[in-house]
Amino acid sequence: MELGDVKYSRADFIETASGNKVSRQSILCGSQNITLNGKTVIQRDCVIRGDLANIGIGRHCVINPNTVLRPSFKKFSKGVSFFPLHIGDHVFIESDCVISAANIGSYCYIGKGSIIGRRCIIKECCAIAEGSIVPPETVIPPLSFFSGTTSAPYEELPECTKDLMIDITKNYYQHFIPS
Amino acid sequence: MANPTSVAVKTSLRIGPQATVCQDSEIRGEVIIGPKTVIHPKARIIAESGPIIIGEGNLVEELVTIINKCDEDSDRGQRVPLIIGNYNVLEVGCRLEALGTGDYNVLEVKSQVGRNTVLSNGCVIGAMCKVVTRETLPDFTVIYGKDHERRIQHERPQPQLLQLDLLSKVLPSYHHLKKARNISRQSSVSSTASSTN
Repeated sequence: MELGDVKYSRADFIETASGNKVSRQSILCGSQNITLNGKTVIQRDCVIRGDLANIGIGRHCVINPNTVLRPSFKKFSKGVSFFPLHIGDHVFIESDCVISAANIGSYCYIGKGSIIGRRCIIKECCAIAEGSIVPPETVIPPLSFFSGTTSAPYEELPECTKDLMIDITKNYYQHFIPS
Repeated sequence: MANPTSVAVKTSLRIGPQATVCQDSEIRGEVIIGPKTVIHPKARIIAESGPIIIGEGNLVEELVTIINKCDEDSDRGQRVPLIIGNYNVLEVGCRLEALGTGDYNVLEVKSQVGRNTVLSNGCVIGAMCKVVTRETLPDFTVIYGKDHERRIQHERPQPQLLQLDLLSKVLPSYHHLKKARNISRQSSVSSTASSTN
């Protein structure tokens, strides 16, 4: 099943040399600290706070409208700073999310409106359900499905999740064409 | 920058010393911001039907909406100020309409507080919780969970002094900051505004 074409007007998006498509209406603070590794789509009204700490986003990621990527705050023994945020490849982040995690592994799916708490570590191939709240400092093991706010044992996802996520994100990018 | 947005709402902004207010934030109406407060970009402070007075050491993150908008039936055009105390933390996406907020409160991500609620000191409103009841929350209340359970905590939340310090050093290198500009045309308002930097 192929995704339908999603057309966007050329004036709305900036396309970089490595194929990243960033909406002009998104707010990228501190863009020198933000790394997009290629073929990533960032939709309108996203807020990416690169001014607080480095943010690295992998290949073929999709970040839907109104999401906030914000590095979390960390007190070290020698002082304080903001913790860098790393997002792996082929990650699909739905709209209205607030992400303060330290690390999101590759091939993850983050549902609409979810809140990823401070300094979380989400391993590869995870899925976070819509509207869930991941408490601060949680570590979510690979291939798990997290929903709601519970700390009950996570449901397992099948091993084909990796291929599914690669499929979804690559298809999205291929069908995201200028009108 | 002060821009009058409509005839009825004249933007007048007074910023205390050492406060950091990013240019990208939307501030409309009569707003007074206390010292050491940090307002992140994309925060919205809208004083539509009355001034907003923000105390010292508050942390207002992005996509926060602080709005003083009167209920048509109950307020009848009186200009009631919305007062926020000191050292509060308003995390990403929350919405504060309460007329009175005390000190050391924490409003977590995407929480909402309605106009008729009064937050006293040391309260924590959990993520995605919505408090719109007509009541005064006792000191140190914590509202959490999807069923909005409540409990009283023993200590108030710590003031985020270290984070405020770090932000006041980091944000100016990446953002333009708003300077205090008092363009209120009412001659009765004293114009001894203190400016930033």
